[in-house]
Amino acid sequence: MIKTHKLLKYLSLVLGVSSILIFIFEFVFLESIRPKMIIFDEITSQEDSQLTWVGMGLLVILSFYFVSLWRIVRYLRYAEEITFSYVLLLVVGVVSFLFVFADVALLQDIVKQYKAGLAQPEWSLVYPIMGFQAIVALIFAWLHITGSLSGKQVNTVAKDSNVFMIVQYVGIICGAAGLASNMLGFLCPRSWNPLIHSVIGSLILIFPYGLAIAYWFIIKVNEKDQHLYDEKQMLDVGRSSFLTMIVSSVLMLILYSANFQNLEGITSVLWLPLFMFTEILLFSLGNIYYSNKSLAQ
Amino acid sequence: MYIILHIQLLRLILKLENNLRQFRFEHNEMTQQDLANAVGVSRLTIHSIETGKFNPSTLLSLKIANYFGVSVEDIFFLVDKGTEQ
Repeated sequence: MIKTHKLLKYLSLVLGVSSILIFIFEFVFLESIRPKMIIFDEITSQEDSQLTWVGMGLLVILSFYFVSLWRIVRYLRYAEEITFSYVLLLVVGVVSFLFVFADVALLQDIVKQYKAGLAQPEWSLVYPIMGFQAIVALIFAWLHITGSLSGKQVNTVAKDSNVFMIVQYVGIICGAAGLASNMLGFLCPRSWNPLIHSVIGSLILIFPYGLAIAYWFIIKVNEKDQHLYDEKQMLDVGRSSFLTMIVSSVLMLILYSANFQNLEGITSVLWLPLFMFTEILLFSLGNIYYSNKSLAQ
Repeated sequence: MYIILHIQLLRLILKLENNLRQFRFEHNEMTQQDLANAVGVSRLTIHSIETGKFNPSTLLSLKIANYFGVSVEDIFFLVDKGTEQ
């Protein structure tokens, strides 16, 4: 346990420093190559080989996010108190991790389009995504360097409540972000693309919640207990399920009534993500509310 | 008539209370987490029982009583809230 902790600590430090250097290299390199590719100027063989290093660098960055997420989850599992900022970091970390695959796909598209003599609109997406990833990587590196993930821990926990709470916090963030992103479909229906904005956006935002549930489930299986929840959690989950059913039914009824004249419009696609993220948000909020209610006294 | 009925209704309000906190302190000031680990529930559940926010199941009550080596009634008892008012 201690060996793994030390190994993860050193590994995250090395990967963290490497990732920041790689980000600097990639920003400088991409900024030098972009003007050439836009005007279809010839790329030198040296620049071509450096493109391979960009791909290798992304692998290091991917590993850094993975190790960082692993350390944050380990820290939160035995932490005396779960803070919202750490859960938020967990979510942005998962999103950054997924964005590495987006980086690879975008860069591949850019190269293909350059070779085919086509315009490369993907450049406008590469920088904001990599900028977001670089900020997250800097925060993670700072956490590793300052030793913030080595705080006070509870020794042993027979029945886990921290992971249960983490899942709920992740649910709140993913549910709210998913609702907000799908609401854009109503606000800007003309520029709204069902595949990109709704399907891909929803998949990216639901992924951290799915991961958190999978992690919680693995822990439950390892506990070898026949009950998934303990008594209090079961009561809280029951209450929040009832609350979720009532509120989401009312909200969906309002959505249906408001769009009754145009049910074949944007609502015909958006009802599912809206319903799903509403359920996740309400259920998670309910669980947090009922769990924390007893702490108020 | 109304007053008599009201008093009778109040008399039916029974609340489950407990000496759990006292038992913990008498057992080497054990923490909620230690007791939770011993009986296989989360710390929040023990906290909720102590503050009267959650009534434990028969099984959990027996587990707690068994852990302290006393009967369930020594830890958990009913308080007639109607009489108190």
